[in-house]
This record gives sequence, structure tokens and C-alpha cells, in this order.
Amino acid sequence: MLEPGVEAPDFEVRDQTGRVVHLSDYRGRNVVLWFYPKADTPG
Amino acid sequence: MQILGISFDTVPDNAAFAQKFAFNFPLLSDTTRTVGLQYGAADDVKAQYAKRISYLIGPDGRVRKAFPKVNAAAHPEEILAEL
Repeated sequence: MLEPGVEAPDFEVRDQTGRVVHLSDYRGRNVVLWFYPKADTPG
Repeated sequence: MQILGISFDTVPDNAAFAQKFAFNFPLLSDTTRTVGLQYGAADDVKAQYAKRISYLIGPDGRVRKAFPKVNAAAHPEEILAEL
């Protein structure tokens, strides 16, 4: 895993509506990047 | 604070998931595992599922905290305790 203090790698992915999302779109805000194993499973 | 959910599911799978539960945050599709590999949520490109991990990323774009084992029920409080 990435260590605290390192630059979080930017990425370009699509959200559930097909919109392109970059991590850098959220610069200036706290972001929680939450990996989950599979759609429609708890947690 | 912005929450971004991310998995290796397709956009249509995430759309169905979002519709069912009406999440108030985006669900991102990383089918290539590119993000998962960079962030340590996948060991290789053939990983079937993302590991249950999360990161708090600060306004400066740097990792503030890494959460190697996410317990969904307790996680919101864990995150809020960091802010």
C-alpha cells in the first residue's frame, strides 16, 4: 500500500453514469478512496 | 470530504449497484486494475476482486492515511477521527 505523505497517483476512470473522473478533480478537498471487492456485496 | 468508491466492476454493474442502494458518492470502474495495482488493492492484473482497503487523501493530493483492513460498519468513524 501507499505510505502516508506520498503523492496519490492520479487516475482516469468512469463512474457509474459513464462520466470520466480524475482524482485530481478533487484537489483541495479530502478524499476517501474506498476499494470494494464487488458490486452488490456488503461493505 | 468526497468519498469515491472504486472496484473492478464494469460501469453497468456499478450503475445497477448504485441504483439499488442510492449511494451519495460515485462508484468508479477500474476494470483494467490500473488504479488497484497502483494503490495496492490488487496483486496483479488478473486479480478478480479489489482488496477491502481505503485511503484518506488530503487536499494537497498526498496520502494522509492508509487503511489496510476496512470494516465497513466502523469505517466512517475511523475516517472522521482523522479529520
